[in-house]
Amino acid sequence: MRAANRGDAVAYRRLLHVIAPVLRSVVRARGHALGHEGCEDVLQDVLLAIHTKRHTWVETAPLRPWLYAIARHKVVDAFRIRGQRIELSIEDFAEGVAAPQGPDPMRGRDMEKVLRALEPRAADIVRGFGLKGETTAETAARLGMSEGAVRVALHRALKTLARLRERMIE
Amino acid sequence: MKTDDLLSVLAADTVPQQTVDSRMLRALPVAIAISAAAVLLFWGLRPDLDAALGSAAVLKTVVPAVLAVLAAGLALALAHPGLRSDRRSMALGLFAAALAVALVILMVRDGLAGLTNALVTPSLAVCLLSIPVLALPVLGATLWALSSGATLHPRLSGAVAGLMAGGASATVYSLYCDQDAALFALPGYSAAILFVGLLGALAGPRFLNW
Repeated sequence: MRAANRGDAVAYRRLLHVIAPVLRSVVRARGHALGHEGCEDVLQDVLLAIHTKRHTWVETAPLRPWLYAIARHKVVDAFRIRGQRIELSIEDFAEGVAAPQGPDPMRGRDMEKVLRALEPRAADIVRGFGLKGETTAETAARLGMSEGAVRVALHRALKTLARLRERMIE
Repeated sequence: MKTDDLLSVLAADTVPQQTVDSRMLRALPVAIAISAAAVLLFWGLRPDLDAALGSAAVLKTVVPAVLAVLAAGLALALAHPGLRSDRRSMALGLFAAALAVALVILMVRDGLAGLTNALVTPSLAVCLLSIPVLALPVLGATLWALSSGATLHPRLSGAVAGLMAGGASATVYSLYCDQDAALFALPGYSAAILFVGLLGALAGPRFLNW
């Protein structure tokens, strides 16, 4: 996370890939009523929150308590706006085991809804990174933008996405 | 979109984020300068400011300033999940308790008559109105800075932000206020600051949710 906050995308991606399965199993254990897709939506909410709030982790403090606090807050919040009240303790995360990946496509529905509400160019950039696995340079070349502009546009798009999800799902 | 794809998107966003502290450092000086300028322009400094700052009346300036610093420390801790905030809440709590004890001692010394004597002055209304008004820029700046944080208790964070803004505003206002009776300043300033705290508590859930 320290490396990630300094802009190391590879380290950050590795961290997210470690966190996501653990969070998925916690969400699934609570969210039978939401179905797999619903749970995946909640998980994506949580991951977006971790991303947009990553600067609130103080580097000298341990990472886990921060991570669990953010995740717990967001999971409870995500269930609340989907009409479910849940109780969740920090231990649920500490004891969480990674959910098996399986053949499940792990697809959420909300993201598409929110992407459609985004400005077309911003949505295009997000899709470029997500679905096509583009690099900053590739996106920049495709859209005729500078790499810096792509980075800033992506950053803004993610902030807007996080805000929109909150509003649209309610 | 698949979650794995989302992770790729998130990892690609490497633009560094502004920390809550740096936002605070950016916005607070501006807000306090606005409040100070308002006092200079519309309220005016008390003519005997030098003499007042050399007497016990300096407490009217120092005590709210200390309160503002303690509340700012707590508000910042609350905006960072995983940071322990208990020491900072205790410091703020002890400070408030000391003020309450001081008020009780003064009341015992001068009785209810002393309190009403000190408070029945047109300055009370001016004080109760001015401090919240002068606190608004500071409260706005603080909430803006804290909104980039991740408080788990928006209402509490808002209230603490309000105490901070109220303290800062009372510090600035004390440069105008020429009522030096402790039984005026202590209850009057406290009530005004608590009111700003209440405003903050009301605004917290609106601005600090994430």
